[in-house]
This record gives sequence, structure tokens and C-alpha cells, in this order.
Amino acid sequence: MDVVFGFVGYDFAVLVADRAATQQIIVQKSDEDKIAVVDGTKIMATSGPRGDCVAFAEYVAANVRLYRLKYQHELDVKATAHYARNELATALRKGPYQVNALLAGVDANGPELYFMDYLATCHRVNTGGHGYGGMFCLSLFDKHWVPNMSRAQAMELVDLCVAEVCERLVTAPTEYLVKIVDKKGVEVIEYDATERLAKRREVQMQAREAARQAAARVGA
Amino acid sequence: MNQNGSAIIAMVGKDCVAIASDLRLGINQNQTTAVDYSKLHKIHDKLWLGLTGLIADQLTLAQKLRFKHDMYELRENRVMSPKVFASVVSTTLYEKRFQPYYTEPVVAGLDKDGKPYITSMDLIGADASADDFVVAGDNVESLFGVCESFYRKDLEPDELFNVIGNCLNAGVNRDCLSGWGGIVTLITKDGPITRTLKNRMD
Amino acid sequence: MSVNLDLSFLHDTERGAASTKYRDEALQGVSNSVHASNFTAPAVEDFDAFQREVINYVKPAHGTTTLGFIFEHGIVIAVDSRASQGPYISSQTVKKVIEINPFLLGTMAGGAADCQFWQRNLGIQCRLHELENGKRITVRAASKLLANTLYSYKGRGLSMGTMIAGWDLNGPGLYYVDSEGTRLKGQRFSVGSGSLFAYGVLDQGYRWDLSVKEACELGRRAIYHATFRDAFSGGTVSVYHVGKNGWTKVTGDDVGELHFHYYPSEKIDEDSLGGLGKKEAEERAAAEATAMET
Repeated sequence: MDVVFGFVGYDFAVLVADRAATQQIIVQKSDEDKIAVVDGTKIMATSGPRGDCVAFAEYVAANVRLYRLKYQHELDVKATAHYARNELATALRKGPYQVNALLAGVDANGPELYFMDYLATCHRVNTGGHGYGGMFCLSLFDKHWVPNMSRAQAMELVDLCVAEVCERLVTAPTEYLVKIVDKKGVEVIEYDATERLAKRREVQMQAREAARQAAARVGA
Repeated sequence: MNQNGSAIIAMVGKDCVAIASDLRLGINQNQTTAVDYSKLHKIHDKLWLGLTGLIADQLTLAQKLRFKHDMYELRENRVMSPKVFASVVSTTLYEKRFQPYYTEPVVAGLDKDGKPYITSMDLIGADASADDFVVAGDNVESLFGVCESFYRKDLEPDELFNVIGNCLNAGVNRDCLSGWGGIVTLITKDGPITRTLKNRMD
Repeated sequence: MSVNLDLSFLHDTERGAASTKYRDEALQGVSNSVHASNFTAPAVEDFDAFQREVINYVKPAHGTTTLGFIFEHGIVIAVDSRASQGPYISSQTVKKVIEINPFLLGTMAGGAADCQFWQRNLGIQCRLHELENGKRITVRAASKLLANTLYSYKGRGLSMGTMIAGWDLNGPGLYYVDSEGTRLKGQRFSVGSGSLFAYGVLDQGYRWDLSVKEACELGRRAIYHATFRDAFSGGTVSVYHVGKNGWTKVTGDDVGELHFHYYPSEKIDEDSLGGLGKKEAEERAAAEATAMET
């Protein structure tokens, strides 16, 4: 039950992933990094069995690097996405990589985000998410995402999404990793949802209390 | 086959053809991931390929066929006629007879004499060309229904555009998995015209 | 030591006696034919397999998004109107809010026939309760009646996920009741295949002190976003408000038009949409330039 989502802003793209590595009902690790750095200006968040994800992300990163060394030419984000998709498509017919991915990066065309799933779907999007956690975020993106967002606006949107996931997802993780990529590189933000959760809880308690008081007034 | 949702129609008019597709990209059956995903692929100015079915195979096949066509063009210094291209599509599909691409293609174009040609195929390449219209997707019953009702012979280009657009919109409105707007390409002897269609977004 | 309790009032007070008479009369007409015990099970060996086969013939309103929430000025109920059989849209104009009586609403998700039948049955039970007791039934009691009915059919293949909303002497009440026998009292629910999408918008837009207008718009907006993202929801968005004088239907909008109301298709200036990225980038560049100088 990985929570992975992301979107593009004005001159950057944001990816968010939870930090829990789980095995059946056990949280084995709560500081896992699910957002691989492909190269200086491209990052890829993956969801699925950790083995597949790590193998796939490392394989893609290594080959992108190899390509650069071999041809002295850097793949842009679109080319990287198509390369990764092709690997997924090839793998699909022989024991697939069970990897759902979001690839974000910045190149001469500005910030881009590509949505990929283990069935080798690939499409350029402005906003995307994987798994049930991602589904909770999609409608929030539709309502709150706007073109050319600033970083401050982007973090507000991340707050909103994390708050929603924490409120509704059965096995909501408490810790998240946010990576922002722009033409200068990748910025990593450790995102602790505890504060967010506490604030959310406070709002809920207020609503509950208000409802209780209203009921008492009606009763009296 | 209806993992991702799709609807494609191709129609013959008077010295022109039109091909239309919906714009939805769905995953996990019910989740709409994008609404700007055209299933039409340009092969050259007078030849279009529409692909329905599994998105992965749509993309793979589109790339593969574009590559085959472009290599042919470089080698022979001429483009493929729709008929030739259709048989390339057909044999490409049949190559995977026992592990097929999960996609049903539609080919529409004008040959060098300006004669319209449209055809649709099943996933292993059995082509069924027609002189009126062909449909493909996960809701062919509805699409056939509206096309049978509204299609007329020898439509002028702008009339053909209206008919195919209305047929696509009406057809996908009975299908959960396709729709969310459409795209139409009209191929005439003067070249292609592409326009997007407005439709229900639910 | 024994205590003698006078329980005679239970049997023969004037109103009690009269109501028994009315009830018997009323029951003769309706209740006998709808009572739980009158539904016979099919004479098959494998009931589950039979149910699986037969479910293909019924019209499920499977794809659905419904929601309800309590706020300062009552309750808002909002629903879509699509019925689907597999990927086929069998109707875009299903009425998924069932008006049980002027103070009670039920919503519908799951099997269309199951919801329609049992909520009408609930309407009958509520009316009988009114005749018997001379006052309106509480939402708590009404939802319990439905939950009891559904629980008695557990495992027989009913498929329902409903919300019961209404106003009684305790103020607004909202309950979730389903065919598994679950019954939950709550402030905010969404049910159906599009509920995940609706929850996103609903939770983050919810405040206790919303005005009636704001609350209705929030309900409409949440259902709209669900119809956009969920393949199996769509049609029209209906919004109801329940206040102390009973429910009123507030809006009913075709999603085909609603989408273009929220997102006009004319090309609009992107700066007017609220993206502040350009400004921020310029400020950042300016700050860096100043830092370089000093």
C-alpha cells in the first residue's frame, strides 16, 4: 500500500512518496527512500514490491548514465520515459516488473511528469498518483492544482494530499519524503505528517464538539 | 481488452475519409488517469492509424509500425498506400499469433489516386475493409448502432466531420470506459485537418 | 422477594388498543407480502453458486458516488445518477436519493432493486411507527429498522450501501447502513465506487460552519470530481438539503454542462488561475542577484 503521487509546477516538478517498507502486516522500515534519482534533473518514484522497484530504478538510472557516457548526449525526460516504458513492456511478457512509476524531470522543455504503470502504460500528465493513496489525491489535484504553481503553493497542495491520505487510508503511513526537481538539481524535504495529523485531528474534534453542543441545544 | 477503454470510428466520404477516437486513458478499470490521450497515430499526411485495446501494446505497436513505414519511405523514396500499410499491420500482428498484441487497429487513408480506404482488424490481423465505416473499441455495439443510423454515402468533408463527430459522441455516451472528449482527423486530397470534440466529461 | 410490575399499560391503553387495530389493518394490506419470512430461498443445493449466476441478470447500480455530511445548518446529501451493467451505461437518470418521508432521505448504492424495495419498505415501517406512536420516528430508529431488516438477510446476496439522513427531535442525524449489517452513525460519509474521489474534495473542503449555500456547493463539487475521475459514476449531480423543516432538493445539474461551468473551454489566461510560480521564480532570481552583489 505505497502512497506515491506528484505534479508539475512553474519551473519544477514534485514527487511525494511514503517512507514505509512493509511486508504483509509488518512495517519493516520507516525511512525508506522510494524516490530514486535517475540523474541530476530526473527523479522517479516507484510503488510495488521493493525488490522490483529498486532493481528497475537502478537499472534505468544506470542505463541513462551509460547512454550519456557512450554518446556524450543526455537523454531528455521524454526519452527517458520512453526508454523506461520500453523496459516495462518487454518485461510485461516475461514475468513483469511489478512497478508503477512516476518519472519527473526538467529539461529544455521545462518540467515534465510521466505516469507509468506495470502494464507499460505511459503518458505525460500534469498530476498523477498510484495506488489507493494516489486515488484520494487525484480529485484534490483536479480541484486545487493550477498551472504555473509556486513552490509555496506546491507545498500547500502536498499538505492537503497528505492530510487526506492520513485521514482516509486504512494503513496510512506517517512519514513522507518530498523531492522537488528543477534545472539546478534535486531538493529533498523530509516531511513529517505528525503535525499535519494533529492539526487535522484538532479540526475534527472541534466539529464533533460543535455537533454535540448543537444537539444539546436542540434537546433543551 | 477493455482494460483501458477506447472507441475509434473511421468513415468514408466523397473523396475523403475521417477517423475519430475518444480521449480517455483509464487504468484499473474505473480510474480515469488522463483525458488528453489520443488513440490516433499519423503515419503520413494521408494515412492514419487508430489503435484500441491495451495501452502498452498500442504504444509499442504504433512505434513499431511507424518505424516500419519510415524505413520503407527511406528505402523506396515513396510512402505506403493505405492498402499496403494495412497488410503490414496485419502481418505484424500475425507474427505474434500465439502471444498476441492486445490491440485492434483501424487504418484510414487516401491512396495516391485520392481513393479512400478504411479497414479494421482483430488482434491477430484478420482485416475487414469496408466501403462505408468501421469501428473498434470496447463498446462496438453502440458505435455500430449510431453509425448504421447516421451514415450516408458520399458525404462532403464538412458533413462527414459532423456525422463522425456525432456518432462518436453518441456512441461513447453509452460506455463507462471511453469518452471524455474526442479527436477527429479528416483526410482530404488537400491534406489532413484535425479538430477536437467537446463531449460529456463523465 | 418478588415485585409485581403492572405491565397492563403495554396491552390495553386506549391508544395502544386502537393502534393495534390500525396496525393489523394496515399490515394486512402491505406487510404480509413484504415481510422477511415471505421471501423463500430457491430450492438449489449450492445457494452461493446460484446467486453468482443470477446476479448477472439483475441491474446493479454498481458504479455510484453518493455522499452525505452534517454541518451547522443541517445535512447535505449529494448523489450521481448513473447505472451501469459492466462497462455499459444502462441509465444516466437513476434517482439515487429515495425520499422516505418529508423528514427522511435514503441514498442508494449497490443493487438498484434492493435499495428501492427495502427503502420503500422502510418508509412503510416508519409510517406505521408514526401511526402507532403518534410521533415521527427518529433517524436512529429508522436506520436501525433498516439495519435489522438487512441483517436478517445477511449472506443471501443483497447488495446495498446506503445512508439514512433526516431531522428529528435530536436534530440532524446521519447513518450508514449496508447489506453486511453494518450501521454507523457519523458526520461525513461517501459510498460507492467513486467515494475515494469524493472524499478527497469533501474532507479538505469541509468545515462545521459552512453556510447552506457553501455546503450544497461542496457536495455538488465533490460528486462532480468523482464523476470525472470514476468511470462508473456520472449523469447528473443531485443535491438535497435536510433542515429542521424537512428536506428540500436544492440542485440537479447535468454533468455534461457542469464540467464546462467549472472549466469553461475558452482559452483562459493562465496567470489568472492562481499559479504564482512565475512571480516566485522572479523573486528568487532577484534575491540571488542581490546576494551575488554583496
